Amino acid sequence: MTTNNDSRPEQRPDDSRREPHRARDFFSVPAPVKRLFDRFPLITYPANELPHCALSTQRGNRLFVFTDAAGVRRGRPSFNPQCLKWQAYLKFVGIDFELISSNNHASPSGVLPFLLPSPPADISTPIPASKLQKWAIEEVHCEEEQQLNVRFEVYSSLLDTGIRNAWLYSLYLNHENFEAVARPLYVNPSTTNSAVRSALAAQLQQAARDELLKSSTYIDASALEAEAAEAFEALSTLLGDKVHFFDRPNPGLFDASVFAFTHLILDQNMGWKYNRLGQLLSQHENLVQHRERLLKFF
Amino acid sequence: MVLELHVWGPGFSLPSIDAQCLATIAYFSLAVPKDSWVLVASSDPTVSPTHELPALKNGSTWVSRFRNIVDYLRQYSNGAWDLDRDLSALEKADSIAFSSFVESRTQALLDLSLYVTSQNYYNSTSPAYGAILQWPNQWIIPPQLHDAAKSRTEPLGLSSLDLEEMEQQQKRDHSAAIAAGRIPQNFIRRPRETVSGLLGRTSQQNQFRLEALTAELFQPLEEALGDKTNFLSGQAARSSLDCLAVGYLSLALVPDLPHKWLRNSMQRKAPRLSQHIDRMRRELYGTVNVSDAFSSSGGSSLPWQAPDRARLVTVGTTLLNSLADATPILKDIRLNNRLRETAEASDSGLSPVESQSLAAYARGQSKDTLLSIATVIGGVAALLGYMVHVGVFSAQEEGEEEDHEQEHTRDYEDQEAEVQLPESVNVSDFLGVNTAAL
Repeated sequence: MTTNNDSRPEQRPDDSRREPHRARDFFSVPAPVKRLFDRFPLITYPANELPHCALSTQRGNRLFVFTDAAGVRRGRPSFNPQCLKWQAYLKFVGIDFELISSNNHASPSGVLPFLLPSPPADISTPIPASKLQKWAIEEVHCEEEQQLNVRFEVYSSLLDTGIRNAWLYSLYLNHENFEAVARPLYVNPSTTNSAVRSALAAQLQQAARDELLKSSTYIDASALEAEAAEAFEALSTLLGDKVHFFDRPNPGLFDASVFAFTHLILDQNMGWKYNRLGQLLSQHENLVQHRERLLKFF
Repeated sequence: MVLELHVWGPGFSLPSIDAQCLATIAYFSLAVPKDSWVLVASSDPTVSPTHELPALKNGSTWVSRFRNIVDYLRQYSNGAWDLDRDLSALEKADSIAFSSFVESRTQALLDLSLYVTSQNYYNSTSPAYGAILQWPNQWIIPPQLHDAAKSRTEPLGLSSLDLEEMEQQQKRDHSAAIAAGRIPQNFIRRPRETVSGLLGRTSQQNQFRLEALTAELFQPLEEALGDKTNFLSGQAARSSLDCLAVGYLSLALVPDLPHKWLRNSMQRKAPRLSQHIDRMRRELYGTVNVSDAFSSSGGSSLPWQAPDRARLVTVGTTLLNSLADATPILKDIRLNNRLRETAEASDSGLSPVESQSLAAYARGQSKDTLLSIATVIGGVAALLGYMVHVGVFSAQEEGEEEDHEQEHTRDYEDQEAEVQLPESVNVSDFLGVNTAAL
């Protein structure tokens, strides 16, 4: 015990002298680089004030989606299929909400849409898209449609794979469409700096390409379009001459998922330059009418 | 003309190790007369111009992927070899939807089970590929497939099935501890994780997630199958959906893996489906040994034809290609070229306008890549020029000489310190045992 205590003060200085040497050998920064970085931060700004805009005083549910100023004012459909799906679903089940134009960087989970419920609920917890249905069921006691029909999940996979992949290709990887549609909607509102714009655009296209290359070794445009054509055909057969999918009296989540794609594909205001999906979809009259019926909600 | 079906070779006592290939084999053995096709276990995607397997070769025409092959067979035989010809409109819609469902959902689970779950990959999948691949592909292809499977399943958030990932995380924690505490590296206790310990913990974390994923897949299928002998109602004959299902699900059911969560949950959640798939795969595939595929005259029920042995040229190009694919900037250029080649190829099935625009796009992309290379080179040159201009190099050289001298003296000190270490340092200090209590 005494030897331990004696040896300690002896060891300490030795140890502490040794450590910095070693650290310098392995981790030290070259002198010029260190001089450069010593000058940072050049200036430290005071912290931003918390935002206190008019919105925070309002009491409604707020849904954050991709949209523009005009879309917010008139409650127009969002131009992003994921956002539009949930926007339409909440409208169909009769929940009031207010649209807020936003982007991915504002979302706690990194993706839009998300919803901030009105203050009586827990104000601090935003609800991501994956939990929106559960929240809506608790709010207005609508039915959970997945439970009613086994085909719900099965036909949903058509939207999640076939149609979505074709959408990604035609929006992001088709050069003309990207310049005419995606760039004004997703890239230009973020910034006016052209260098940042081109970097953002390249990132978007790369993300879409990576997503498509996950399931195949190369991107085959004709195969993607053929899959989408098959998917539209299957959906059209499933709908038949009924008013809503699965013969429900009111439109529900599945109608919203289909509408999210069919509306954007058929919407003239999107300004498609090359719209093969639109041609394929127009062959199915009942899907076109289904979209027109649901558009009346907006 | 005999059709040649090129596939990944046999594994897990199934005729192929890949789900799409299995589905295509099932379709051929149901639809195509036995003397009109041969099965070649080439196990090398580069045999086909599309770099994909399964691939069907008919003379000089190549068709790849299950769906395209089924379409091609229908056209080639004028509808005679079409298993879906008698389906009603609603059944056809069901067939499309269920096919897409089985493909997307089962692929994710197979990726998790065969590739991402580390014990299964290292103990079963990787050796199985080793048995069917030739040198040097056996060192190149399995890691590629492994990485592809990992990136496909990343959004599911189940990376803790992957022991490698866990180990890297531990290493990061470990080095963070060193940096934070300035504790000598040798004295940080490194917890040795045993495989069973890891599994015990991760399986609790993953159990709920995996339960949900498997239930989403198996319950609709079990319900759709019901008491029938195939998936689509009112049909005695089997459709392309049955082929796809037996291809994908037999890979979930048959392989005898160290960590059997997928097989167990399939048998538990869908007993009828499991029996059905097992019956079908025995009927269509039998039990296949790896040697069957490489000897043309076998007792197997499938028309195997031995693949060509790799020639020196093929081996050389494989090595060069994989080297080029591993080089960062070259990789991007090659990827774009691949897109352009398929677009410009006359038999790619694109209309002239489409292929032109695709090719133009690919060319634009390679321009981008060249531009970024030029930018990087310019940037580095500017930095170097600036450093020379300021005189950084000369200043550093002087400094280095001094450093060297100092290092010599330091080295001696270090050696002395290390010699003294065992005598004077009490190890238990660092392991957190309270010496004062002694």
